[in-house]
Amino acid sequence: MAARHVIVGGGTAGHNAINTIRQEERQRSEIVLVSAERPYSRMVLPYYLGRTIAESHVFTATPAKLGQLGVTAHIGRRAAALDAGAGKLTLDDGSALEYDDLLVATGSSAVRAPVPGADGPGVHSFWTLEQARGVVAEIGAGSHVVMVGAGFIAFTILNSILALGARLTIVEIAPQILPRMIDRQGASLVEAWLRKHGVEVRTGATLTAVEQHAGRRRLRFKDGSDLDADVVIMATGIRTNLGWLEGSGVRVNRGVVVDDHLRSSVANVYAAGDVAEGRDLVTGQPDVHAIEPTAMEHGRVVGANMAGRHVRYRGSLLMNIVEVCHLDVASFGRWDDPAAELMLAVDPDRPSYRKLLWHGDRLTGAMILGPSADIWTTNDVGMLKGLVQAGTPLGAWKEQLRRNPFDVKRAYVASHATRQLLPETVLGRPAPAPAVLWS
Amino acid sequence: MKVLRIVPERCTGCLRCELACSYVQTGTFQPAKSVIRVSPFEGHTSYAPYTCFQCAEGWCMTACPVGAIVISPVGAKAVVDDQCVGCKLCTIACPYGTMFYNPDTQKAFKCNLCGGDPACAHACPTQAILYEDVETQDWLGDFAAARAAGTLVSAGGNGRH
Repeated sequence: MAARHVIVGGGTAGHNAINTIRQEERQRSEIVLVSAERPYSRMVLPYYLGRTIAESHVFTATPAKLGQLGVTAHIGRRAAALDAGAGKLTLDDGSALEYDDLLVATGSSAVRAPVPGADGPGVHSFWTLEQARGVVAEIGAGSHVVMVGAGFIAFTILNSILALGARLTIVEIAPQILPRMIDRQGASLVEAWLRKHGVEVRTGATLTAVEQHAGRRRLRFKDGSDLDADVVIMATGIRTNLGWLEGSGVRVNRGVVVDDHLRSSVANVYAAGDVAEGRDLVTGQPDVHAIEPTAMEHGRVVGANMAGRHVRYRGSLLMNIVEVCHLDVASFGRWDDPAAELMLAVDPDRPSYRKLLWHGDRLTGAMILGPSADIWTTNDVGMLKGLVQAGTPLGAWKEQLRRNPFDVKRAYVASHATRQLLPETVLGRPAPAPAVLWS
Repeated sequence: MKVLRIVPERCTGCLRCELACSYVQTGTFQPAKSVIRVSPFEGHTSYAPYTCFQCAEGWCMTACPVGAIVISPVGAKAVVDDQCVGCKLCTIACPYGTMFYNPDTQKAFKCNLCGGDPACAHACPTQAILYEDVETQDWLGDFAAARAAGTLVSAGGNGRH
């Protein structure tokens, strides 16, 4: 009898797992997808908001595509409970599914600031497609948008909000913007850049309530100040969707604890993406990396393993990039490691900023900030990622980079990073072209 | 498959490859839009061109959230323009630093081997860029290490100054 794989969650991890099972399996298996939403890519929602793509562009798997892949899809259904001992998944309509193996890929949800009025009209999260539709419907030229929270998600939609002709104010409870992506110095450069581009930034601002006044929103702050807005976007963090695993027998810490093959404490239950607590490539320690590239790699590794291969995952590299009004801001690996040796270079006028973090002669983290139009910024982003990913010993080039942290290309090429990287693949074989999502 | 084989010792730093590349890729003679980049590796001598290796993993391709990077008929990883949304994930996923972003079109771009007739290889007057059926490899590593060794030694000491 064909093996039955149940995939819980239709996001990046889930759809990569499905495609990879079909690429890798020797015998056609049965695949069942349980997804609360019709599968789409969260990464591209900001471009839908900015109206540079149509809503149809966000979907990663149409019903027809799932049909071609031979996937039995339960769209609009949520997993309610798992009995890993019995191999049984119960859905929110009370129906049950049996499986040979199962992937937990239920992702995370947006969390709003715990203040009165946070759920009122005109107050939005920007996380799901449904939430994006709500924001798209309300923002227009001249709207005043207040974004509560200045993290990665907020920054991915900043350009789109400005492109729509809206006025934007960003408020952040921490003393700096992007507190989990860049350091204080980088943040101060980005804050100055934002102000130069007409964005108001308030850091260290604690929201206490959102009130409704004459069809508009009034935000109240702890210091007694207030702010009126047409639209409020709460980009105040995310929470992993793990509640349904209570009592399942699957070990959960900050996420589902997985081994190097992305198996949980129960051998035929895997986890991938935002809900998985897997190996960090740089530290070797378990961590939750709620980022798109990790969900993609996790999904592919699980898919290969479900198809009967034994693929060991080296670990995920924390990385983020956002463009802020034509300024690229990126960080990799352990960019905030207090034990690392640091090298810095700042050009506040350009602006441009580099921070390299070292253990011995290997880079373990990096931060890079520079104009999007500067080819060398873009190329160095990739090369620094390569050096952190490969753990290339840089030898005497370390001192050259201390003299000039912008001399990345020569250090990269002369240290033979390319030779180290060329044999590297995630699944131990060349990646095939992606399943065409858009035809 | 045929790939771009770089013979760095033959490069004179004339930048004809960059001009040809930008013309074929974007229709304008703008080296800033070239996806093959010539850099000096020893002071202001010893130049060499550097471009996408068309690697086996295709880190750009697997990272793309909308499947906008595909394998072309000649085996190149190629950006499908009207599918790219400009999210830049490919620019951090590519560990070789060979992804590019065009701020005018707000899309990523990269070497697509000009559909099997690479302009850079045609333009190179010294055959430093060849389009051949060989395994892709680290074309510049040894060259750069040998050339740059002098720069590093002459700087001397711990290099702080």
